[in-house]
Amino acid sequence: MTIALFLSVFLIAACGLIYELIAGTLASYLLGDTVFQFSTIIGCYLFAMGIGSYLSRFLHRGLVARFVSIELMVGVVGGFSSSILFLAFAYTEAFRFILYVVVILVGTLVGLEIPLLMRILKERFQFRELVSHVLTFDYLGALGASLLFPILLVPKLGLVRSALVFGIFNAGVALWSTYLFREQIGRTHVLRMGCFVVMLLLGAGTIFADRISNAADNSLYADEVIFSRTTPYQRIVLTKWKDDLRLFLNSHLQFSSRDEYRYHEALVHPGLAALPGARHVLVLGGGDGLAVREILKYPSVENITLVDLDPEMTHLFTTHPVMSALNGHSFSNLRVHVINADAFRWLDTNTEQFDFIVADFPDPTSYALGKLFTTAFYRLAAKHLASGGLIVVQSTSPLFARQSYWCIVESVKEAGLRVYPYHVYVPSFGEWGYVIGSFAPYEPPKQLPAGLRFLSTANVGELFIFPVDMRPVPAEPNRLNDQVLVRYYEQEWKDVAH
Amino acid sequence: MISRRQFIAAPALVGLWPKTDRKITGGFVNDSFALGHRLRDRAPFRVPAQQLRVPIVIVGGGMAGLNAGWHLDKRGFRDFVLLEMEQQGGGNSRSGENEISKFPWAAHYVPVPAKGESLARELFEELGVFRDGKWDERVLCFDPQERLFINGHWQEGIEPEDGATRKDREQYRRFVEKIGEFRATGQFTVPMERGAKPSLLDQMSIADWMTQQGFDSAPLRWYINYACRDDYGALAKDTSAWAGIQYFASREPEEKGPLTWPEGNGWIAARLIEKLKRYIRTGEGVYRVVRGGNKFRVLTERTEYVADAVIWAAPTFLAPYVIEGASHADGFQYSPWLTANLTLDRIPEQKNAEPAWDNVIYDSPALGYVNATHMSLATHVDRTVWTFYWSLAEYAPAEARRLLLAKDWNFWKEAILNDLARAHPDIRPCVAHIDIMRIGHAMARPSPGFLFSEQRERWLKPASNMFFANSDLSGFSIFEEAQYRGVEAAKGALRVVGQASPTKA
Repeated sequence: MTIALFLSVFLIAACGLIYELIAGTLASYLLGDTVFQFSTIIGCYLFAMGIGSYLSRFLHRGLVARFVSIELMVGVVGGFSSSILFLAFAYTEAFRFILYVVVILVGTLVGLEIPLLMRILKERFQFRELVSHVLTFDYLGALGASLLFPILLVPKLGLVRSALVFGIFNAGVALWSTYLFREQIGRTHVLRMGCFVVMLLLGAGTIFADRISNAADNSLYADEVIFSRTTPYQRIVLTKWKDDLRLFLNSHLQFSSRDEYRYHEALVHPGLAALPGARHVLVLGGGDGLAVREILKYPSVENITLVDLDPEMTHLFTTHPVMSALNGHSFSNLRVHVINADAFRWLDTNTEQFDFIVADFPDPTSYALGKLFTTAFYRLAAKHLASGGLIVVQSTSPLFARQSYWCIVESVKEAGLRVYPYHVYVPSFGEWGYVIGSFAPYEPPKQLPAGLRFLSTANVGELFIFPVDMRPVPAEPNRLNDQVLVRYYEQEWKDVAH
Repeated sequence: MISRRQFIAAPALVGLWPKTDRKITGGFVNDSFALGHRLRDRAPFRVPAQQLRVPIVIVGGGMAGLNAGWHLDKRGFRDFVLLEMEQQGGGNSRSGENEISKFPWAAHYVPVPAKGESLARELFEELGVFRDGKWDERVLCFDPQERLFINGHWQEGIEPEDGATRKDREQYRRFVEKIGEFRATGQFTVPMERGAKPSLLDQMSIADWMTQQGFDSAPLRWYINYACRDDYGALAKDTSAWAGIQYFASREPEEKGPLTWPEGNGWIAARLIEKLKRYIRTGEGVYRVVRGGNKFRVLTERTEYVADAVIWAAPTFLAPYVIEGASHADGFQYSPWLTANLTLDRIPEQKNAEPAWDNVIYDSPALGYVNATHMSLATHVDRTVWTFYWSLAEYAPAEARRLLLAKDWNFWKEAILNDLARAHPDIRPCVAHIDIMRIGHAMARPSPGFLFSEQRERWLKPASNMFFANSDLSGFSIFEEAQYRGVEAAKGALRVVGQASPTKA
């Protein structure tokens, strides 16, 4: 009984600290300036606890019932705190205001907990023992929470689910209290009903947690992170929710295993299937090996050279059981040669010719990446194309970043190639665009490899038809000395986000 | 049993050692004032053991000398030598290289030559970066070209936009308008000799002209002052208004530029040196030029050259110390410079701002830094070299030269790091090595009154078979002036040897 009592002190202390840490972390994540955020949040939180402790004197009767309802309130407000804050950040201008309101509300409620509990327990223990025990478990709870938070909660559960789970703990303590102190309360049924409702609510929250933070920001991973590593080049994060694996590079979604076949089939087959004699293929970028998986469906292809910057990325997709299964262990195929190098420099120092080149780079979010979408780059790539060869370029979304898309098309054209723009719908990305560049006239393939899930000879030609809202708009070509693309891209995605 | 050594090492293992700043290596490099000071002090020189007859001798292997040689060679004239006192030619266009990148030691760009600049276009066509009227994209400065650290963060471009008031913008607009008017007069050209006409603008400083025109916007004045410090090594109050206007009005690029390379203009120098290597003799400082009849005896400590014509491509102020009978180069003033190459084995935190090629800090006495790896095709750079420029313009040239010599490497290292720390608080742990180059007479200064003075024009008329070619004859040191003067001197020298031995050329 005694242990059970103090265990609940331990739990509520842990919950209290978790909400504080979540508020601090979220604010630093979203607003930056960690020192400022943590200082002000800890300050407000402790001050609010003081308010709570002060207010506890005005509660006279029915202490246990009040304690239970306070626990439930902490559970609801604390449990939904990160969801509220994410949504506030995404949809309102009042993030800071809401942040401090939530912090002060949770702090005040948490400040009420311990004084009330001590008054409830004062009949059962000597004052000396009571103070010692309660405070000991209070501090132990804080220690537990502060260790659990960075090691387990943030990486495994994420901020949204962590808060919800600890909200359930609060509700659990409330429910438990209705049993521990049943002789001190009258309306146990009503209170227990309340506990179940709150737990149900929070439980439902954990199921929809991914939608909540998806709605707010992809960069804060909603799903369970099954792998994360920061390499010298990028931050690689793989998340999993049910059967959906998602790869993020520097917080940008690269693929979702549910629909990546659409993206990769469309990237490879319209070009490669139109080159029956293709033997040498080059993939630039594409360290996930998914494009290579598609290329390996052509027995005529003798060798595939993949150039990706990050050795850790290609190593992961060669050895990691989940990731290599996704690409059909394509990197272990003897026809595939993986080279870890900077693509532009590698091409510049290499003289090989290829029948088919795939340029599958991350979107031009910076001037550094923008170099890989310049007329100079395509001119160099064209030098590596065998006569009759084709290059296909991942070209961002012609719907959300229409001018960026047509700018890439224009840049390929400026490099002296004929251009054949096309697009496909990938649910996790939206409408996505590509462009084929070639010296000779190109026609969509009449035949495709067997076993494709999306493309067929019936629909491959349709990819080249652009609806009115994605049709060409005027755009300058992207040059090394004038990277208009990076500016178009930044503007267009900003417009989409707001 | 724990040994004494282990016991002593224990505090270090748990990190109880006092924290120390990273040790940064480096020193002064390419010091070249030794020969200059020997000449100035009339120190004794070794008498050369051998004599060689060469129709044309070029003294000085900077851009003027190299372009003089380029022209001679292009015209099929092969009977000349180019004497360079340093082990490496290139002068202000010298460059260096380490395991990370090549980097410039001074001049680091050429503005994209406009249609009228046929000489520069001819050279770049020959060097393969200008073809069928189009510039090679890879030598045009990559985006983003410039950025300015102002009000605690970086903005794109170096004209101060951040915090500019309506009044500032109005004055920017009016300034651009004024410059447009000057450009339309056709008097502000590159090279300057093509269009320059004596002007009252040369009688006042650009700072006074700004005041007279009612340009009192602080950021605009900062920008003009920066331009003067950057191109002329002088403050706006010490720069001729004509020269200040020339900086802006002489250019109207059709293409976003400038032309640049990781090693700056060292790329041009290296190509020219490669073309001319059979004529170039490095490590041969000329200490005396004596006229004898219609020939010159050009003396180095190795060889005495007997020449029909001499192209003096070394700085003009050196002439009276070397050439017999040459008068003092009155009116010629030179800004001293300090350049430093910093090896960074880590890139400082950028706070969402991408590094540009030229990175300037507002209100810094120095000129900022140029990132050598900016012109790399790589998308990911984890180490780099920064070239830090400082023209010490706030001092009078002689005083600045004294300061350059008096202070040790550690002083300049600290000054450089403190300056960079304004924009990069984490700079110190990123820097592994700093080499510093001190140039006492780096650039000609277009002080008010000099450009259209008799003092300058006197040196333009060839004094019987001696042709002066240094860019300082234009009053300011830029590539195109050096090239123009070098080629003009070569034409003059060819006329002389054409008379002396009509079978040649």
